[in-house]
Amino acid sequence: METTLDLRRWQEKPAGVTYRRWVIVSTGLRQLMRMRFFQILIFLAWTVGLLMAAAGFVFTQSLASGGWLESFATSLGPRPQAVVSAFCSMVLLYPDICIHGLFSVVFWWHSFVGLGLSLVGLSVVIPRLIARDRASNALTIYLSRPLTSFDYLLGKLGIIVGVLLALWTGPLVFGWLLSMAFAPNGDFFVYSLTALFRAGLFNLIAMVVLAAVALCVSSLGKTTRSVMMIWIGIWVIGGTIASIPTTPNVLRAASFSHDLYEIRRGIFKLDEILIKAADALPLTDRSITNNMRRIGQRESHRDSAASAYLGLAVIVVASSLVFSRKLRPE
Amino acid sequence: MRDSIIEAKGLGKMFGSQRALADVNIVVPPGTIGLLGPNGAGKTTFIKCLLNLETPTTGTATVLGCEIRAQNRASRERVGYSPEQDCHIPGMAGCEYVTYCGQLSGMSFQRARQRSHEILDLVGMGQERYRSVDTYSTGMKQRVKLAQALVHDPELVILDEPTNGLDASGRESILQLIGSLWKQLGVSVIISSHLLHDIERICDRVIIIADGRVIEHDSMEALKNRHRRIVELAPSGEAERFTNVLKGAGLPVERLSNGRLRVETPSESAEPILNLMRLHGLPPAEIVANPNALHELFLKSLNARKNPKNGNNP
Repeated sequence: METTLDLRRWQEKPAGVTYRRWVIVSTGLRQLMRMRFFQILIFLAWTVGLLMAAAGFVFTQSLASGGWLESFATSLGPRPQAVVSAFCSMVLLYPDICIHGLFSVVFWWHSFVGLGLSLVGLSVVIPRLIARDRASNALTIYLSRPLTSFDYLLGKLGIIVGVLLALWTGPLVFGWLLSMAFAPNGDFFVYSLTALFRAGLFNLIAMVVLAAVALCVSSLGKTTRSVMMIWIGIWVIGGTIASIPTTPNVLRAASFSHDLYEIRRGIFKLDEILIKAADALPLTDRSITNNMRRIGQRESHRDSAASAYLGLAVIVVASSLVFSRKLRPE
Repeated sequence: MRDSIIEAKGLGKMFGSQRALADVNIVVPPGTIGLLGPNGAGKTTFIKCLLNLETPTTGTATVLGCEIRAQNRASRERVGYSPEQDCHIPGMAGCEYVTYCGQLSGMSFQRARQRSHEILDLVGMGQERYRSVDTYSTGMKQRVKLAQALVHDPELVILDEPTNGLDASGRESILQLIGSLWKQLGVSVIISSHLLHDIERICDRVIIIADGRVIEHDSMEALKNRHRRIVELAPSGEAERFTNVLKGAGLPVERLSNGRLRVETPSESAEPILNLMRLHGLPPAEIVANPNALHELFLKSLNARKNPKNGNNP
């Protein structure tokens, strides 16, 4: 009992493990990109990046003599022209405060949007990571190939990183680069680098935490519904409980969204920027100075960043233990 | 050509206090090998240990010359596995899934795509390959599972119940395909099945596992020769006289419900029975030698296992 096997043989040397991990990442991302919901999220994220670039463009034009901003202010009349001239002079005299400060505020604002979009995006991604493979026994298919559970995890981690890059880091860097492309001199590049570095640092910390939590949540359930419930519980309910002023510090630190909020304040240091600007800039309107100082002081009253870092470290370690233990084919 | 595809030394697996596999020592040569055993005998655990899907508690094993623990990834590079249960990736079309599996084994996208179509043709998948795997019938899922096991041109394919859920014609074509893998391509096959007839048709070696131990391992021919000689007679008439003649010659005869006579003979050939028929002028009869030999042997081995004096571990 035989049948004729009309087959070409494949006797090439198989590609290395890096390629096989990349296949998991790229295929996972390609599957996500087919979803309408995810396409909308990507569109929103990059629109925000464009808005950042537009804001940066307007700001960088402040130093360009005869630039767009100056021409626009002139067309509006002598008063707006005077305001713009004063602003341009201030930027010229205090580039460290003005450029660094304004980019810090823009990046700080973007960290809310980027993190928010990433959390919403992860709600779609999480059930498709480990949970779906466990439910459909696809884990057996992965692990019966020349892949270890570590390779599999790296592949899934790559999907999360790809999602966060697409929804958060990409638009951030894109917006900054585009605004730098229209900057009239190198001051904008030099004085915005620290702000960009801080935004990148917060992004990196959030990426590590979200990746660990996402993998953990995904490994805990087998159905989309159960995994979504756990994710919403940890993210929304945990965050809400942590935001109640009477909640004990230990419980607050157990919420990753609260910890990230505290760490963001610590990294961007908006309080210092606002107080320094209020003290140093020759602002004629005293109410603006007072407002800046008041907001800065309010921002400086924050929980200890150390407890937030500790909380996140515990969350990452515990999550890693959970998903690494759960990762055996059934 | 390799001398052996699998070598296990003292391989054992415990699940808590439950022993699933106990001190398995076996050297399996290339070919088409049937893995038999009752439910819960340890067949799947043995396969999973070889693929590193379960960590053996004791002992070691090599698959295609690679030690399963020390050369973890390499030991599975040229191995294809089709598990018993469904294992598709939801949302993927059949050809996309098979291509993806090829890529996971280190094939480039173009090569994997090309070969996935060839293999899907081979397993009998038509245009449905472009449909999502979620919508497939059990038979289609079984075919896709086989395709993903073959896509990267493995040297060894391990198939766990590959004909489950297939209709009669589908089962036949898949069995023919499996039977041809070794003969035409030199791809060794280990097929775990409870369908003894399938194993008997396509395998040239058999491993019988019971209670976590290998209790028989030999070529199909040798196993059949060790089996007592059974002949089934389907007389065209005078069944009663047939019975009396055979009994008169001292042969144990059993009358089956389908009218056939089951006779135990001292000789390997049917010649003594033909002589008796000729001598007593009996009408012609259909004679089938060693029907269900594997089934008989399987039951015999299991019974022998229950009696420790007869147990062995080849």
